[in-house]
Amino acid sequence: MTDLDVDLLLVGAGPVGLYGAYYAGVRGLRTAVVDSLQEPGGQVTAMYPEKPIFDVAGFPSVLGRELVAGLVSQAAQYSPRYLLGDPAVSLSRQDDGRQLVRTASGTTMRCGAVVITGGIGTFTPRPLPAGEEFLGRGLAYFVPRLTDYAGLDVVIVGGGDSACDWTLALLPIARSVTLVHRRTAFRAHAATVAAVQASDATVVTDAELSAVLGAGSVDAVEVTVKGEPPRTLPCQAVVAALGFLADLGPMREWGLELHDNRHLVVDTRMRTSLPGVYAAGDITDYDGKVRLISVGFGEVATAVNNAAVDLDPGAQLFPGHSTDSTPAPVPVA
Amino acid sequence: MPYVIAGPCIDVNDKACMDECPVDCIYEGERKSYINPKECIDCGACEPVCPVEAITQDRRVPEDMTVFIEDNRSFFLEVLPGRDAPLGAPGGSRKVGVVGVDTPLVDDWEG
Repeated sequence: MTDLDVDLLLVGAGPVGLYGAYYAGVRGLRTAVVDSLQEPGGQVTAMYPEKPIFDVAGFPSVLGRELVAGLVSQAAQYSPRYLLGDPAVSLSRQDDGRQLVRTASGTTMRCGAVVITGGIGTFTPRPLPAGEEFLGRGLAYFVPRLTDYAGLDVVIVGGGDSACDWTLALLPIARSVTLVHRRTAFRAHAATVAAVQASDATVVTDAELSAVLGAGSVDAVEVTVKGEPPRTLPCQAVVAALGFLADLGPMREWGLELHDNRHLVVDTRMRTSLPGVYAAGDITDYDGKVRLISVGFGEVATAVNNAAVDLDPGAQLFPGHSTDSTPAPVPVA
Repeated sequence: MPYVIAGPCIDVNDKACMDECPVDCIYEGERKSYINPKECIDCGACEPVCPVEAITQDRRVPEDMTVFIEDNRSFFLEVLPGRDAPLGAPGGSRKVGVVGVDTPLVDDWEG
């Protein structure tokens, strides 16, 4: 069963993938964008949404999240389909030359061409070293629904914005919230940290969650403050917000030519070693490659326009200038 | 382009940086840790968390510490004591675990 049929699929919803979605729209292609993260913006959203970026053409300074918002709205005039929070896990070429891409949740997508804008790979939550076997049985890496924690004693691990935000969000719902952080200093926004410290949450710093205890699901955790004996803390839920790890992951098995086991080799048209599969942005490699957002924007324009010719050999490679006429929204089936 | 861990890390080896690195490219030696220049994506997440300010971009390493730029590279390119091949680019320190040895420079470092 095919869940989605498009002309062009972008694998990766970072800045380069989003700009590619815009360009695919300009070319009149039915477009989809797939990403492992829940939000568009890739590395920029996951790692530096609040960081000013100074080297995007035309913007003396732009915050990461503003850049992403701008890219999303630029692409939105062509209504690309987004599949977020669901990594692409396999890619294969069908007999008719079209590509079949499957996501982790089992969604299948048939597409004429694929542009891999996967940056540094798939982001996955950094696992909690102690007690990973409790994942789904009281241990979670995200809080998708606050109400799931109603009346529970919750232990949150981490020192970043997610850990602090979830602490504050769960306080009114949970019976108790304890925040455990390995350091004394928090990485979250100063205002958020202050709010946490002023709240009813118990904050334990310089401490490690050394074990998760329980027969079937979580009953308690063992918390070890530096230089002190471990102590046991009864709880029914643990949220580990330890950030993300990025890895090329399943893409390594797609048969693409890799360089240094982490970059995709492309030619001047941004073609990878597989027919119909292009790449752009931080993930590509060639002699003289410079890994910057601005370079990725150029690469994805090259990739999408070349893919457009692949899909319609009668089409011209050059898309025309966007100033030639006001772009008209193209309906997406 | 990569970030570099310099001398102040020696015998501190706090490893706060390892908790931050999104590509898991910081490898643990005996007396200090080392950033794999082939795997570092230049994001800078490690720099502010170092308690001894040992981490900088390779082009901003203090003059008296520039020897560590090459030394971080050697950790991955040279054969370390007790190994029969260089570490190379193993794709993440979690896959390798604690390396537990140092480069000759760090091994002999007196500070």
